[in-house]
Amino acid sequence: MKAEDMKIDLKEMKEFKRKNAEERLDFVRYWANYIKTHSDKEWSKQQNVLINSQIKK
Amino acid sequence: MKYFKERNEIILDKEINELDKFVIDFCSLLDNYVLVSGYVSILFGRSRATEDVDLLVPEINEEDFEKLWKKIYDNGFWCINTPDSKEAFGMLKEFAIRFAKEKAVPNMEFKMIKKDFDRYSFENKIKVIINSKELFVSPIEMQIAFKLFLAADGIEEELRVDKDIEDANHLYNLFKDKLNNNEFLKIINKMGINERLKLLK
Repeated sequence: MKAEDMKIDLKEMKEFKRKNAEERLDFVRYWANYIKTHSDKEWSKQQNVLINSQIKK
Repeated sequence: MKYFKERNEIILDKEINELDKFVIDFCSLLDNYVLVSGYVSILFGRSRATEDVDLLVPEINEEDFEKLWKKIYDNGFWCINTPDSKEAFGMLKEFAIRFAKEKAVPNMEFKMIKKDFDRYSFENKIKVIINSKELFVSPIEMQIAFKLFLAADGIEEELRVDKDIEDANHLYNLFKDKLNNNEFLKIINKMGINERLKLLK
């Protein structure tokens, strides 16, 4: 498919954007709650996979 | 995570990551400082990476800066802006300067305290103890307010995906039972961002 053949429903896109924002914030809340209900060791092990992958020695 | 509000202290029993090590290494060279902005959220678990770590230090004179510069270089850090300490000191009066170790990312954004809200963060800083190491961070109330303030201007829909709003929400959800609401609302009022409170959920 070429760009000229693509059909984009802007109303649908706007709804996608709204849902995406909501889902991102839902995850932020979910993760904050996870931190509150799990040991520091448990959540930090998961967080470190992301952080350490950025800073490879 | 244990927050002892009465003594402005948080104890973290987390596994230290490469970013924490970098920050602890740099901060151990300083007598007085406060960490602000994104790293504070990351230190408390926010699942995102960062290029830089913002740090504020009290005003420093040229002689003390020279001594600190030597200490920083002796410990393997280097200044991204300039290799010349005099030039760096000149820059510091106006801007932040950045120090890195080996690679340019991550780096410490080193800034002198100039504004009242910087001073507030410094004077009310929280001691964070991580596996017997210490770091000093800005009070949570100020962090949440500052992140709400920092987010780009836009309609509510756009703001919700802003990383600063996400950082604010992370800290808010984590510490909402422990916040000094009176102090928090005073900061929000001073920053003129009452409208943005609705972005905290």
